[in-house]
Amino acid sequence: MHIKSPLKTLIGIALSCSISLCTLAEVVVIVHPSNDSALTQKDVQRIFLGKEKKFSNGNSILPINQQPSSSARGSFDTDTLGRSSTQIAAYWSKLVFTGKGIPPKELDNDAAVLAFVADNQNAIGYVDNASVSDAVKVISLN
Amino acid sequence: MKKLLTLAVLTASTYAVQAEVRINGFTNFLGGITSSDESLYGYDDKISFSEESLFAIQISGDINDKMTATGQLVARGEDDYKAKFEWAYLTYQATSNLNVSAGRFRLPLFSYSASSEVGYSYHWVTTPQTVYDVSFNNIDGLKLDYSNYFGDWEYVLSSSFGSFSDDTDETITSGDDTVLVSAEAVYDALKIRAVIGRTNLNVDSPSVDAFLDPMRAAGLNSLADSLDIEDDNGTFKGLSIQYDNFDWFIGGEITEISVKDSFAADDVAYYLTAGVRTGKWTPSITYEKFESEAKVKFQDQIDQIATSQLPDSLKETFTGLAIGSQLAQEEDFSTITAAIRYDLDTNIALKADISKRSDDVDSIFDATLLRFAVNYVF
Repeated sequence: MHIKSPLKTLIGIALSCSISLCTLAEVVVIVHPSNDSALTQKDVQRIFLGKEKKFSNGNSILPINQQPSSSARGSFDTDTLGRSSTQIAAYWSKLVFTGKGIPPKELDNDAAVLAFVADNQNAIGYVDNASVSDAVKVISLN
Repeated sequence: MKKLLTLAVLTASTYAVQAEVRINGFTNFLGGITSSDESLYGYDDKISFSEESLFAIQISGDINDKMTATGQLVARGEDDYKAKFEWAYLTYQATSNLNVSAGRFRLPLFSYSASSEVGYSYHWVTTPQTVYDVSFNNIDGLKLDYSNYFGDWEYVLSSSFGSFSDDTDETITSGDDTVLVSAEAVYDALKIRAVIGRTNLNVDSPSVDAFLDPMRAAGLNSLADSLDIEDDNGTFKGLSIQYDNFDWFIGGEITEISVKDSFAADDVAYYLTAGVRTGKWTPSITYEKFESEAKVKFQDQIDQIATSQLPDSLKETFTGLAIGSQLAQEEDFSTITAAIRYDLDTNIALKADISKRSDDVDSIFDATLLRFAVNYVF
């Protein structure tokens, strides 16, 4: 009973692989440690779609995106915003050329986003769960 | 290059928020060909790339944290790619909900007005022209946009004031004291929009003058003034409903344009569209309909021609012109279009469509058109 079966381990590895493949990267939303705003998933959607420009504390929000080709961006667009990256791009093209909005800045990778958010009180970004550091605060979306 | 720009912008914004200048652009490369001896949207049975292709660059800069200047430079194939600033306006963010824009901007007549040229942003090759092809588009004036949300409803109220002047071929269409008010509400996948507007319309056209000038010369001034579109009240009404849950969408838009006290008939145009998004592919179908029901107005004044001192032959000619010019406004046609969009990348889309137009007034305008497009944004 207490002897580990190699087959079970293999199955376990296979399972966890397939699960992680399914979910790509698990991304978490991060803000500056001093930011105590409460945010729901809907708030984050509104922020990253340019509909909400201020935190509940009144400060102007500085949303930070990742490159369209990154897996973090793909997961964030699909899981948090609920649309494909192409649909998000079409959405922004409409707003940009009608003068109604400016898409969030794009940074190259998790490290750049972490550094930027750690450095800017009003920034909000997202990174792979595994990359999170103490310099930022993870927001749990309800 | 783009990364460098982003980096530069980010670095700059860290130190001086005001210094930001953004450059974006979009291009539509379109080609089309009709079946033999037919013509539609400027295309004929020889393949053409210039009818609807365009290149545009938008430059916007923040003057301070409340004011933004935006200019859009557009080069159109039909104008031999001569670039001109079609939009140039300043936007003042009065509050976080209220924007005030002044300058030259797109008059928000339709649901897709402001983005109707950004092919990348929608599923069609072009917006449905039966509805969207109006003789004026941009207005010089002032616009107020108020946006907010109420529970799960997001809404935008917009009002525009100003004047416009547009010439196509030799016809000059202009409007003064234009007021346009629209309300748009979005609830989850549902978007509803209503718009109403009015203007003092003037249409200056050689073909209209050609039949009105002889009438005036013959002393039938009041009839000529009735028929003419000169300082006449033009009204615009529109309604659109769209449902888009990202996997599939369905929508429609209907507009009515009428010019009081003129030979023009009331135009009613609408479209219905539906499509599905499956991975990178978006097949869709669109039905468009245009109706202009001609009626003979000013019958009293037309009857007075008979009592005038004119020779009988002229009486007959002018009576015929007065009635005929109004009846000639009768239009009734529909178009059905099957389109496909393929997302090549997050900033490039490839498209193709085939349209079949049927004209119930004159079948000489029946046509079948095949188009393809490359839409790019940067």
